[in-house]
Amino acid sequence: MTQPGGSFDKDLIRELAALLEETGLTEIEVEHEGKRIRVARGVNLTTTLTTNVPQSEARENTRGPTRTDEFIVHPGTVTSPMVGTAYRSPEPGSPPFVEIGAKVTAGQTLLIIEAMKTMNQIPSPRAGTVIAILFEDGQPVEYGEPLAVIEQR
Amino acid sequence: MFDKILIANRGEIALRIERACKELGVATVAVHSTADADAMHVRLADESVCIGAAPAKDSYLNIPAIVAACEITGADAVHPGYGFLAENARFAEILEEHELTFIGPSAEHVRLMGDKIKAKETARALGIPVVTGSGPVGNFEEAKSFARDIGYPVLVKAAAGGGGRGMKLALFDNELEPALLTARNEAKAAFGDDTVYLEKYLAHPRHIEVQVLADGQGNALHLGERDCSLQRRHQKLWEEAPSPALNENERIRIGETVAQAMRALNYRSVGTVEFLYEGGEFYFIEMNTRLQVEHTVTEMITGLDLVIEQIRIAAGAPLSLRQEDIRFNGHAIECRINAENPHTFRPSPGTITHFHTPGGLGVRVDSGAYAGYTIPPYYDSLIGKLIVHARTRNECLMRLKRALGEFVVDGIETTIPLFISLISEPDIVDGNYDIHWLENHLAKLGARG
Repeated sequence: MTQPGGSFDKDLIRELAALLEETGLTEIEVEHEGKRIRVARGVNLTTTLTTNVPQSEARENTRGPTRTDEFIVHPGTVTSPMVGTAYRSPEPGSPPFVEIGAKVTAGQTLLIIEAMKTMNQIPSPRAGTVIAILFEDGQPVEYGEPLAVIEQR
Repeated sequence: MFDKILIANRGEIALRIERACKELGVATVAVHSTADADAMHVRLADESVCIGAAPAKDSYLNIPAIVAACEITGADAVHPGYGFLAENARFAEILEEHELTFIGPSAEHVRLMGDKIKAKETARALGIPVVTGSGPVGNFEEAKSFARDIGYPVLVKAAAGGGGRGMKLALFDNELEPALLTARNEAKAAFGDDTVYLEKYLAHPRHIEVQVLADGQGNALHLGERDCSLQRRHQKLWEEAPSPALNENERIRIGETVAQAMRALNYRSVGTVEFLYEGGEFYFIEMNTRLQVEHTVTEMITGLDLVIEQIRIAAGAPLSLRQEDIRFNGHAIECRINAENPHTFRPSPGTITHFHTPGGLGVRVDSGAYAGYTIPPYYDSLIGKLIVHARTRNECLMRLKRALGEFVVDGIETTIPLFISLISEPDIVDGNYDIHWLENHLAKLGARG
């Protein structure tokens, strides 16, 4: 779900990036007025994550499967190809397909989405490292919803 | 009653259905494509689910995605609106298999009326008037006596025909023999079968349709007619109720005939039986087993909310009204506001920079548009409907003229200027038009440049 009016404070991002250089840190995350910005180094791109952009008055629907978390710019974001319920493991109680930090190969199953009583395996589109998992086990997801981020090596 | 209804549609009709759900106290789920994330039907629903990419086949026609959206939201019924999956019998069946209610007729009736040949046979069997046609005609004398019985003009048609081939018009007796011969030769050449039959030809028909409401429990009533003769390329642009061409006796006669047929069929939900009307007679075209775009004019003159009635019936309630409870009050006209050039009708997608809707007594606007809204190029061009109601047709025309003058849609082209020009046409003022009137009128304007 794309929120209209989700603008970014470019100056803030620049400031944070400069701070990264200065301190030698690899990652800084700040949260301010419902907006979360994460700047990381040593990755291909600066990753920006926003949450809970203030709702316009017309928008009443925030419950249910509509989620506003979005990896907006990262090219490694894997989005949901279908509507359904996302699961991290092949069956309840078994270990998840992947954890953050795991190395994956192209085509390796990242998760499954249940839709119309069928289990659909969602493969990794590329080889790389799982740097984020953006859904909870058993969470309903809509088409296009970001599920994970695979950083290319 | 349902707890939560998923609306498998977009635009003004999705919003229209949401309004009915809210008045019934039922939660709503909007589904949308990636192109419609900012649409008003999405903003005003209780929940929303993005079901696919912009092309309709990937989203609004994507049955698995819609069923999955019901599953993740817990919706227990689906309203299909009009278009998209509204007349897809397989969709109705799949919903049923997943224990979801399709807010509409039985899959069997959707399928029956979707087959145009079976629909006509069914209509005839139910006592609904259809175009008078002969069986296969043998010789010229046989054809001549049949043509004299039904009256000229007659159409000679190939039994195996289609696409206008093997079809010849005879205006008078002396044109029948050549028409018969030509049609036979064409039919033989095109279809390898020279069997022909005769049919009554309608030169200047009006399009008049009867709205029905039935509960699938043996009860059915009619809600009068709508006149939708003002069309361009079979696209209705202006609809009114009641028809300027019918008197009360004719209204009751065709209404009762249709209601009786729906009782015999044991039809459920709202539906529309469409006719061509000429020389005081009705000729069945087809039946639409869904809510129609122009249902609003019937709502205005009956005071009934058709979508609320449709949802109640789908939830298993019997009709709460009898035919004698239905009263027709005044006159209503609907104009379809399309994002199109008013002369060429070329679609005009783009961003609406300014949007002001008319108001005041008897004025209704059903629209999902707003200032800043960008009309996506993937779907139809209808951006809203202006519906005006008044005590008489004359008052209604004056009110329509006033309301059209208040309507502002900047940034794109719309059909509003066309309607403003139509209001001052004497034929429109007199209600004197048939299904060819608008195209002829536009051709004249085009010739004048």
